[in-house]
Amino acid sequence: MLADLHNHSCLSPCGSLDLSPLVLVERAAGRGIQILALTDHNTCANCPSFAKLCSENKVVPVFGMEATTREEVHVLCLFDTLEKALSWSERVYSLLPPIPNDPERLGDQVIVNENDEIEGEVDVYLGSALEMGLDEIGPLAEQYGGIVIPAHVDRPAFSMTSQLGFVSPGPWAALECVRLPPTVDTRGYPLITGSDAHYPEHVGRRSFELPLDDEEQKEVKAAGKIDIALLGSALRRCRKA
Amino acid sequence: MKISDVIKALNCEVVQGQFENTELEGAYTSDLLSDVMANAKSAGALITIQAHKNTVAVATLVNISLIIICNSRPIPEDMIDAAREEGVAIVRTAENQFMTSGRLFALLGYT
Repeated sequence: MLADLHNHSCLSPCGSLDLSPLVLVERAAGRGIQILALTDHNTCANCPSFAKLCSENKVVPVFGMEATTREEVHVLCLFDTLEKALSWSERVYSLLPPIPNDPERLGDQVIVNENDEIEGEVDVYLGSALEMGLDEIGPLAEQYGGIVIPAHVDRPAFSMTSQLGFVSPGPWAALECVRLPPTVDTRGYPLITGSDAHYPEHVGRRSFELPLDDEEQKEVKAAGKIDIALLGSALRRCRKA
Repeated sequence: MKISDVIKALNCEVVQGQFENTELEGAYTSDLLSDVMANAKSAGALITIQAHKNTVAVATLVNISLIIICNSRPIPEDMIDAAREEGVAIVRTAENQFMTSGRLFALLGYT
C-alpha cells in the first residue's frame, strides 16, 4: 500500500500556513496515498482534525510527530491511535524548553480544525530540542505504544549523520532517507522515504510502498486503521541497503 | 571592529554580503542551534558548521549579524536567501571552529 509517514501541517513553525490537515489529507488521497502520517515538530496537536479527515477521505491514519532530540536529531514517533499520540504529545510538551515562539521570525504554529478554521496556537517554540536524548526516545515512545524512525538520515541538517556523524544503532523500526540507495552507512536497517511535506506541493513527493500481503491489506482497509505491530513488521520487510 | 574588517582579517569567502556593517563585540561558537538560542545573548558572530536556513532564523533571535561557516561546508541557496532577507552576513572558511574562534578572539582584543 502506498504510504507516507512524514508530513507537517501549519502547526509546524516551518510548515506553510496553506498546509492544513484538510489540504494534507485531500492532496494525499488525490495522489493515491493509502496510509498517511501527520508528524509536526514536537507536537500531535493537529492530530484530532487529521483523524476526522482521514476517516472522511478513506485514508488510513498514523498519528505522530517529528521529535527533536537533545542532539537535534529528528526522529519520527508513530502511534496507531489518536489517544496514544496525544498522551505522548503531552509528555513531549513537558520536555520542551520554555522558549516562546516568535511567529514573525520562526513561523506560525496554529491548531486548526477539520474545516480549516484556526482554533488556537502553540505559544512555546516547537522547533526547540527536547530534554530527551537519542538513546532515550525509542524506549520512551515504546512505553506509549509507539515506534520510532530516525528522519532523513542522509540529510546534512537535523539528522543522525549531521549531528553525530554516523547512523547510531537503536530500536529503530526503519530509517528514513531522502534518496535511495542511501549515501550513508545504514547498518542494515530497513529503509523508507518520506515526503517531509512543509508545503501543499510537497505532499506525495517521496511516498513509499509499504509491503503488506493481501490478507493484511484487506484487514487494514476494512478496519480503516493499521495496528502498530503490523506497521512495524511491514516496515521490517522494506528493502535494506 | 567592523564586520567588514573582521571578514578581511579572517580571509574568508563572502557568501552573503548584504548586511549592515556594524561593530562586532563578541562571538559564540556552537553547532547546536538550541544551545545558540538559549545561551548566545547578543553574540555578534556565530562560528558553526550548521549550514542551513534554520541557523539564520536562530541568528536573528539572538542578534547575530555574522555567521561564519567552518570546514568549507556547502551552503544551500535557501540559507543564503534567508540571510539576505534578514541582512545577516555569511562567510565561509576552510578552517575549523577552534582555529576560527582563536583568530576572532585575538582580533576582537580578548586575551
